[in-house]
Amino acid sequence: MTAEVQGRMKLPQLTSDKQLTFLKLSVLSMAAILSFATRLFSVLRFESVIHEFDPYFNYRTTRYLTEEGFYKFHNWFDDRAWYPLGRIIGGTIYPGLMVTSATLYNIMQFLNITIDIRNVCVFLAPFFSSLTTIVTYLLTKELKDEGAGLVAAAMIAIVPGYISRSVAGSYDNEGIAIFCMLLTYYFWIKAVNTGTILWATMTALAYFYMVSSWGGYVFLINLIPLHVLALMLLGRFSARVYVAYSTLYCVGTILSMQISFVGFQPVQSSEHMLALGTFGLCQLYAFTQYLRAHLTPAHFELMFKALVWTLLATLGTAAVVLTITGKISPWTGRFYSLLDPSYAKNHIPIIASVSEHQPTSWSSFYFDLQVLVFLFPAGLYFCFSKLTDANIFIILYGVLSIYFAGVMVRLMLVLAPVMCIVSGVAASSLLSLHVKDIEPKVEKHEKKKKHENNLVFRSEVGAVFVCVLGCLLISYVFHCTWVTSEAYSSPSIVLSARAHDGARIIFDDFREAYTWLKMNTPEDSKVMSWWDYGYQITAMANRTVIVDNNTWNNTHISRVGQAMASTEERAYEIMRELDVDYVLVIFGGLVGYSSDDINKFLWMVRIGGSTDRGAHIREADYYTSAGEFRVDAAGSSTLLNCLMYKMSYYKFGLVYTEGGRPPGFDRVRGAEIGNKDFNLDVLEEAYTTEHWLVRIYKVKPLPNRGL
Amino acid sequence: MNFKALLCLFVLLTFYQGEAQTRAKGLDEKLQQLTDMTAKKSIIPLNLNKFKEYVKSPPRDYSFIVMFTAMAPARRCAICQHVYDEYMIVANSFRFSQAYNNKLFFGMVDFDEGSDVFQMLRLNTAPVIMHFPAKGKPKPADSMDFERAGIHAEAIAKWIQDRTDVQIRVFRPPNYSGAVAFTMLFILVAGFLYLRRNNLEFLYNKQMWAVCAVFFCFAMVSGQMWNQIRGPPFFHRTKNGPVYINGGSHGQFVLESYIVAILNGAVVVGMILMIEAAGGVKNSDPARTQAEGKRRRFQSVVGLVLVCVFFSLLLSVFRAKTQGYPYSFLFK
Repeated sequence: MTAEVQGRMKLPQLTSDKQLTFLKLSVLSMAAILSFATRLFSVLRFESVIHEFDPYFNYRTTRYLTEEGFYKFHNWFDDRAWYPLGRIIGGTIYPGLMVTSATLYNIMQFLNITIDIRNVCVFLAPFFSSLTTIVTYLLTKELKDEGAGLVAAAMIAIVPGYISRSVAGSYDNEGIAIFCMLLTYYFWIKAVNTGTILWATMTALAYFYMVSSWGGYVFLINLIPLHVLALMLLGRFSARVYVAYSTLYCVGTILSMQISFVGFQPVQSSEHMLALGTFGLCQLYAFTQYLRAHLTPAHFELMFKALVWTLLATLGTAAVVLTITGKISPWTGRFYSLLDPSYAKNHIPIIASVSEHQPTSWSSFYFDLQVLVFLFPAGLYFCFSKLTDANIFIILYGVLSIYFAGVMVRLMLVLAPVMCIVSGVAASSLLSLHVKDIEPKVEKHEKKKKHENNLVFRSEVGAVFVCVLGCLLISYVFHCTWVTSEAYSSPSIVLSARAHDGARIIFDDFREAYTWLKMNTPEDSKVMSWWDYGYQITAMANRTVIVDNNTWNNTHISRVGQAMASTEERAYEIMRELDVDYVLVIFGGLVGYSSDDINKFLWMVRIGGSTDRGAHIREADYYTSAGEFRVDAAGSSTLLNCLMYKMSYYKFGLVYTEGGRPPGFDRVRGAEIGNKDFNLDVLEEAYTTEHWLVRIYKVKPLPNRGL
Repeated sequence: MNFKALLCLFVLLTFYQGEAQTRAKGLDEKLQQLTDMTAKKSIIPLNLNKFKEYVKSPPRDYSFIVMFTAMAPARRCAICQHVYDEYMIVANSFRFSQAYNNKLFFGMVDFDEGSDVFQMLRLNTAPVIMHFPAKGKPKPADSMDFERAGIHAEAIAKWIQDRTDVQIRVFRPPNYSGAVAFTMLFILVAGFLYLRRNNLEFLYNKQMWAVCAVFFCFAMVSGQMWNQIRGPPFFHRTKNGPVYINGGSHGQFVLESYIVAILNGAVVVGMILMIEAAGGVKNSDPARTQAEGKRRRFQSVVGLVLVCVFFSLLLSVFRAKTQGYPYSFLFK
């Protein structure tokens, strides 16, 4: 309302058509700016830093790409990770993200805008969410009308389900992948509606961009064939759909195979078979229609039957043969865990244990979507009541993604855009239905007289309704801002806490430690830590690590776990074997940081004990006889003498942490440590950060002979 | 087949003769008998005499896993049956695996048949699974701790591997109930379609599909999939009466998810009522008659009230679950 008034005051000379365009443009650009701005909480609170773990790897590879060029990047063998094995980077990542930011960086440099590559990385996700807002507008416009597009754009600008993966600093594949996905959908809808090769090719290009940036493209390449199949079943299959899908499949598949990480999967793995099958079906369908037009019905019948049976037989044999010879990869576990939700729980413990693969409870749905949760069904109702080719697509997308989001909390990301689109349709239709009642109507005189009483009430009810919907939308805005600010904006590399007097304390120990490593250790030293910190160490300290977050080699991780869980002597053997120079542990006992290495320690024991060489490590030894995990004097002696314990609590027994407590009181476990008075034989303390969050030890060389 | 039965009979006969003849037996003889008994039944039932003979008395180079339990219905031991089932799975997996050898045997003592054994070992709880090593006396770690490890067959197998270094790959007999239910459903649907094959128009009924899709949304959004995978309790009983809403934001009860589904549903019904009241999607002409107008007015007011009340209820349920959530509407 205010925007409208403003517009009228400023631009009195414009015609109403132009005013409308101006209004739309301003709403859309405000939504885009808002979507950028709402993601900046962490930059304003802390500074422009990359968040968490995986983004550091992406940041490092991007830096490499800008410095060394694309071909070197493509052939990059990384010797800084997984020492002594190394890792082939070029062929094991989706390069879209890095190439995008490197391109942006180069454009900026060309325009003489000097911007650091780190800042490009930090602000890439918010920038792309602005673009997503615009694409959402275009897509919804194709589905319904411009009003719905504007509402949907405003909704996706602040939806927490999408913000969770795209705040400033969260430099990950998903940040740009959602944009690519919606762009592909937009072009697809355009292609289906127009039936031109141009739009279909655009779809294929957008699809290629999507493939190059995220593994979730599998969802897309199954959804589009499903749409085509549904159209066939409903008798809506036409030349338009034929042109759109055939072009998309051919061009898109060839393009997607150019990504070396994807390789020949599009023609081999079962996840892509639906697309291939639908492509074949399209050709057949078109062919039979052609025959039907040229043959007599009797001939056609015969021909049709013969064709169908031959085809079925050939396809069946081919599928069986290829599966047996292993040319078609068997159904992967990830695929099963999506289709049969209890499969993962029963068969793949590692999938069940990763928190991103957990199912979604109702409160997470509400947390991430708020009013969309019930605007969505209303919007579905609208879509169903006016079925078009595009509406069928959006219904399919909505229903499928809501299922996947229910199975896996991570896929909320795919659900959030369609929720916004459909809810936008619902909200806009509801509003336009009722706003009509409020506005004074120019009606025929007799009619007005007849229903005078009725109309008065109608306008009141309409006004109340608009108010209520306004309330809902306002509560959505508040909710989204609160969620973004409280839950999704902590960088986790810099921690903050409140002191007793309410002042904010910043713990910047991680960066302090990594900088120390970078400045004070030889360039070729190897650092051992638990895998969580691998990416950060290579990216920030530029030192070689034994294991990192790309957990591709379980035995190697297990070896590190064994070192952490063994006594000093045994650990020394392992560390000599792995050629370790420094060991890094995270310790939160002084400040009460609960996700430290002692709390992760049982995983190290479990993973360490899971391989043959770690058979001497038994989880039960680390519990007390009553089966508890305790670090105080009652704890098991195996725990109290293992390397991890000693490194975490070295000299901790001399420190007073809380008033009224004995020295050596661990604030995370809430206990006084049991083993205070010990010395390290094979390690020496190299550095401990200000709040003791990170402790670095140097591995002593072998003692001289004869000493 | 006949031959097998004969062999069994023969084995049985020799076994009974053997028991009648000697008290103390040699190792080979004992092993032979145990192997034969295992061939018949993977868990060997033991009473006092047999327990003393096979498990306690000296010439022995095999480990014995014994479960002490009380299976009689009169004992009212609900967990015993569960443990027995899991134990049976382990014993069967071992019996039919390639790792099968005569270094490890599975036995069972029921309280009603061997209460003297319970007295002898000073056991006063059931069920207990104990390991009697080939050499030496059982240590404290030789009785399995259900509380920590759980009663699953995998846990039992892992514990056995810890104690005896025999690795047993647990093979669960596949559960056919899911497959059967699925086939039944498939047959039902196929049969229905076949019966109505001349009139398949209903498949193209938009209304039906719309209702299906919307209900599916409610099921997913209210976390039925979470229930399916995690299997939470229906609701929680405490001293202060039943609790229907899980206090943590990461958990939920089955009843809670139903409540949420109903709340969501009520809000959506309210919205649809208002859409219809305003003339529906098709933008048909507004009310023509007085009565029609009244009905529509009534409809939109009901819709409005539904939306407001149930939205605020939902908000307060969410507020109760999420700590520090500042917003509420109508109700606290």
